[in-house]
Amino acid sequence: MSVSRRGLFEVLSRAGTQSATARAPLPSAPPGVTEIRISSNENPLGPGKTVVDAMMTRFGEVGRYPFNNLTANEANLTAAIAAKQQVKPENVVLAVGSQELLRNAVRAFTSPYRHLVTAAPTFENCTKVASALKHPVVEAKVDSAFKLDLESMLATVRGAGLVFVNNPNNPTATVHGIKTITDFVERVHRVSPDTVIFIDEAYHDYVTDPNYQTAIPLAMAMPNVFVARTFSKAYGMAGMRIGYAIGQPDTIKPLERLRMPMTLSVFTVGAALVALADQKHIDDERARNTAVRDFTMKAFVDMGCKPTASQANFLFVDIGRPAQGFRDACAQKGVIIGRDFPPFENSHARISIGTMAEMTKAVDVFRDILRPLSPSNAGKGGN
Amino acid sequence: MAINRRRFVQTMGAGAAGAWIAGRGLEGGLWPELAAMQGTSGAAAVSPIILSSNENPVGPGKVVLDAVRAALGASGGPAGRYSNAAGALTEAIAKKFGVKPENVALGCGSTQLLRSSTHLFTGPTKALVATIPAYEECAGYADMMGHPVRAVPLGPDLKMDLDKLADASRGAGLVFYCNPNNPVSTYVGARPTRDYISRVNRISPDTTILIDEAYFDYVTDPDHATHVPLAVEDPRVLVARTFSKAYGMAGLRLGYAIGHADTIKKMQDLDAATGNSSLNVLAMQAGIAAIAQDPGFIAAERARNTSSRDFTMKWFMDHGMKPADSQANFMFVNLGRPAKDFRDACAAKGVKVGRDFPPYEKTHCRISFGTMDEMQKAVVVFGEVLAKRAETAA
Repeated sequence: MSVSRRGLFEVLSRAGTQSATARAPLPSAPPGVTEIRISSNENPLGPGKTVVDAMMTRFGEVGRYPFNNLTANEANLTAAIAAKQQVKPENVVLAVGSQELLRNAVRAFTSPYRHLVTAAPTFENCTKVASALKHPVVEAKVDSAFKLDLESMLATVRGAGLVFVNNPNNPTATVHGIKTITDFVERVHRVSPDTVIFIDEAYHDYVTDPNYQTAIPLAMAMPNVFVARTFSKAYGMAGMRIGYAIGQPDTIKPLERLRMPMTLSVFTVGAALVALADQKHIDDERARNTAVRDFTMKAFVDMGCKPTASQANFLFVDIGRPAQGFRDACAQKGVIIGRDFPPFENSHARISIGTMAEMTKAVDVFRDILRPLSPSNAGKGGN
Repeated sequence: MAINRRRFVQTMGAGAAGAWIAGRGLEGGLWPELAAMQGTSGAAAVSPIILSSNENPVGPGKVVLDAVRAALGASGGPAGRYSNAAGALTEAIAKKFGVKPENVALGCGSTQLLRSSTHLFTGPTKALVATIPAYEECAGYADMMGHPVRAVPLGPDLKMDLDKLADASRGAGLVFYCNPNNPVSTYVGARPTRDYISRVNRISPDTTILIDEAYFDYVTDPDHATHVPLAVEDPRVLVARTFSKAYGMAGLRLGYAIGHADTIKKMQDLDAATGNSSLNVLAMQAGIAAIAQDPGFIAAERARNTSSRDFTMKWFMDHGMKPADSQANFMFVNLGRPAKDFRDACAAKGVKVGRDFPPYEKTHCRISFGTMDEMQKAVVVFGEVLAKRAETAA
């Protein structure tokens, strides 16, 4: 391992502190103020009518385990996902939200002697679970464009158990193209062939960059690579808790073994089956998000605040002041935005993309709060 | 985390080791046959009666279904939001039992809680103890982790033999105490259970006892009490509950554990506080409504089940077959023939009964109680299947 023990200890102690202090609850809107919730990268419209109608047909089946259900059962769902992604059912592991995959990947592939390589900032679950297990964690800070710094990650990958690649990256909203990802995966394999690479494509459906493509074909072609997807984002089903992983059977077998049985509700399975069949709904959702994203990014640029190149349903924007003060001021006006994301908590806020109506109101609130900011201070937040 | 299959086999004996786990997951296997049958012209009218999974055949009732509808709203929008209802649900459960929220852990069905307690309290030198048969989740998980499993045979009346169980508990990490015991349906009263717990506390003070009260609401034995009050006082006792049985919510996936605050915290820390991410919003809102509803709902469901149970048990006794003394919403009956033969023959006639439960799979079958109407139809099928087999044998 090319990381010094001291460096590792520093990283670990910070991660440990994070996990010990449970995530602080977000502020809420004052009584009587309509809340605009743009804090959790959800689809503001939910799953859509087709899916909700399908859920409404399941009320008579609530008393039965889903494995007793003729249609809304896991075997049918696995087959439907496999068909959609053009893989075989043996390449699919279901999960109760992608969080189960994050948790179980750390349990399965890292150990006290095989570290986790991840980014800072990125989605924190892997880091939290590894810290709780006292497995070493090495974090590579994102680059100056707020993209995953794959070169830095590569430098620490030798002997690692798991590399977590969130693409697009939450919270920085940036994406790497498929050529870059393929090159990274091949180099990791050369340097450290036993290291497993976890490519989390939670925000896949929101990407518009033509250089981006899913890494599912890569995972199908190479051992020790798998891709995770979730229904919590574009599919609008965060409350229903469902995700899945795709990879070669030998790669995903440990995830299948650690998977809790019987985790998906009959509503969840029924909804997912119908949602998978409606690609137009997802395409429409991408177009809707892109329009609102463009509007919101332009508004921030006009205010003198620089957002990163967002390829997701959220922005990471340099507001030139601590996120917490901005967040609390927004909450006072009913606008709930994202939590702190160290090491950028003193300069950047994460703002999810709501509907156009919500963002039109939210942008007015942002403008009011940010107005006192003089142009000379913009973009100088401490990193 | 390699599986130490050898250790497991040494503990259980080669035959038993495979056998215990073998029954898992077989329940779903009959569905393709039934679905195919429904699709064929001749048998298109076959309407399966599901007596295989110890569910409440009537479902959760209006209060809960209305809560699910309300949770979805007119547009279904809330299904798109991460839910923070876990806190309210935890408080509702705590209130119901007169305990504090820090005594309650939520789970995706009781499965999550059985797994996390097995993870926490067993180890390479700390065995899991359970009767054989018993619900397989803890034994299966301990086996997967490479932790030893001690299987304790039941007494002659298919009740837990508390002397044998106490002997096996010595030095163990966790005792899985399923009461009423699935799949055998028998029940050990509150008083002998308390005696067993204090005995284990005395002879093996580091052993934790997990009392699975999944079928608690179906018990009619007068010596009946929950062990929740003991669990909140004693870190070595933990109670698991589920909404999948009397509450009729198996399709929603929700359970909980109640215990000492330190034990509950350990369970939550194991998941690095991500455990509640397995709970869907509809289940949580349904749970809040279910736990707060009039206790008359559970009393009525217990009475409904007791009628079906009395009717079905009597039918088997009248036909010369002896079921174990059921205190649950299922029975375990000696048919004197392999469960598989009976199960397949019943499935062909649209009645789905329980999977194999070694070491009794050559003689006994588990049959869940449906509605009275379903049981009246089912016993006709049982009669036909059992008569046919008797003729063949004769």
